[in-house]
Amino acid sequence: MPVTVRLPGALRDATGGETKLVAAGATLREVIADIDRRHPGFASRVLDDKGELRSYVNVYIGEDDARTRGGSAAQVPEGSEVMVIPAMAGGG
Amino acid sequence: MVLSRKLRDEIVAHARTAAPQECCGLLLGEDEVVRRVLRCQNVHPTPETRYLIDGKEVLDALRSSDDFDRELVAIYHSHPRTQAYPSPTDRSEAHWPAAAYVLVSLRAEPPELFAYRIKAGAVREISVVES
Repeated sequence: MPVTVRLPGALRDATGGETKLVAAGATLREVIADIDRRHPGFASRVLDDKGELRSYVNVYIGEDDARTRGGSAAQVPEGSEVMVIPAMAGGG
Repeated sequence: MVLSRKLRDEIVAHARTAAPQECCGLLLGEDEVVRRVLRCQNVHPTPETRYLIDGKEVLDALRSSDDFDRELVAIYHSHPRTQAYPSPTDRSEAHWPAAAYVLVSLRAEPPELFAYRIKAGAVREISVVES
């Protein structure tokens, strides 16, 4: 099931500079794995050792925050736009 | 980075309004020239010492831009009580290496404002030119 994935900011260097990709998968984890097959190392930038979303990565499936839909297990409807956005955070 | 006096004053005003909490937002423009200040919500649970820009606001800014990576000149936040220099947390949580990080400090008058590039935890100050 094809979906569009957009990658602003720092994650573009994990995809050779590509910021918009078409990927396949029924869940977010499958979509990430599909991109990782073409761009090895991508998954480890987005998911932790347990396969969950890293704390500094926000993912939106359409308008919905993936964390409210099961995190990396979230369903990704065909034709969805998935945004993978590094957090803007810090403080001191 | 080019920043007009008016927009610099907007950032400082945001910092003063948010104090004692940290303020945060985006500086948008092109070719390192800031055209507008987008105030954002600090949604971190301890906003006195940390900031986290509301992800939904970043999503909206992304969706309303044809080329967000080009339009995003800087990410700004305030240090109400400490210097305008990236803290260890600022350095470890900087995930936008193409953007500048602008810090405004309220610890002295007049407030200080500096800009930096942060890449892989390394900090390099960049000049802020008043237009």
